[in-house]
Amino acid sequence: MGLPRKDRLRAKLKSEDTTVRVLLSHPMHTGRAKNKAEQLIPAEFIQDIRCWRNDEEVLTIKCGTATAKNPYFSFQLVGGKQGDNITLRWVDNLGAKGKAETVVK
Amino acid sequence: MVEQLDQQRRSILKGAISASTLALVAASGLLIPQQLLAHWPTDAFNAETVEDALLALLGEAEIADDAALNFKVGSPPSYAINGASVPIQIQSSLKSIERIAVLVEKNPFPLVMSLDLTSAVKLPFKSMIKIREDSQVMAIIRADGKLYKTSRFVEVDIGGCG
Repeated sequence: MGLPRKDRLRAKLKSEDTTVRVLLSHPMHTGRAKNKAEQLIPAEFIQDIRCWRNDEEVLTIKCGTATAKNPYFSFQLVGGKQGDNITLRWVDNLGAKGKAETVVK
Repeated sequence: MVEQLDQQRRSILKGAISASTLALVAASGLLIPQQLLAHWPTDAFNAETVEDALLALLGEAEIADDAALNFKVGSPPSYAINGASVPIQIQSSLKSIERIAVLVEKNPFPLVMSLDLTSAVKLPFKSMIKIREDSQVMAIIRADGKLYKTSRFVEVDIGGCG
């Protein structure tokens, strides 16, 4: 957990739909990898990601261990306008939480 | 004898009480991710075969193959050098999609992610996944109570689940 985590969230209006891109900062350890001392690195991965647009919940993503390190997601939301608030929260299997907010451009 | 029964009853009661307090604490959002995340489908994510994962997640494993659902060409690529992050992109012409599951057949735990969509979400959906060895990568969509599937064989040079 050395470096401070920074989650990135971008939302852009593109031909009347909102494109949302998410890049979370998380190691996503599967629990099977070993460190240099041949010890197992305990599992640490994001389990649940939720996304809101203006207080309306639009998407839930549930991840297993096989989601890549520093998870990236991209999806579109129907309609929307500039200035909409997009909020995203995540929880990992150890209970760590994160939140990112942005405004549609 | 009566006393023994009483003891038993007491311990059962105690257990019940502590369970309910735990539930309360969990509900108040303080403790134990497992309990907090009771809705995280543990069975599905810990299933070791594709069928088990699908049964646990979607309640059925009967699938209609359909052209309405596609991986975008090149994503996942048919050949990936690094299995630790393979891009995928899911596109579909289906309406009213309720849930999408992404699975990698030969991973230790096949289920990679499960998405619950509302009508406000539009595909394509893009992400990155880990693949342990050469394997089928599948996307399964539930729309209007039916399952649709698409899959692609992906070869990887370096496995990404270590």
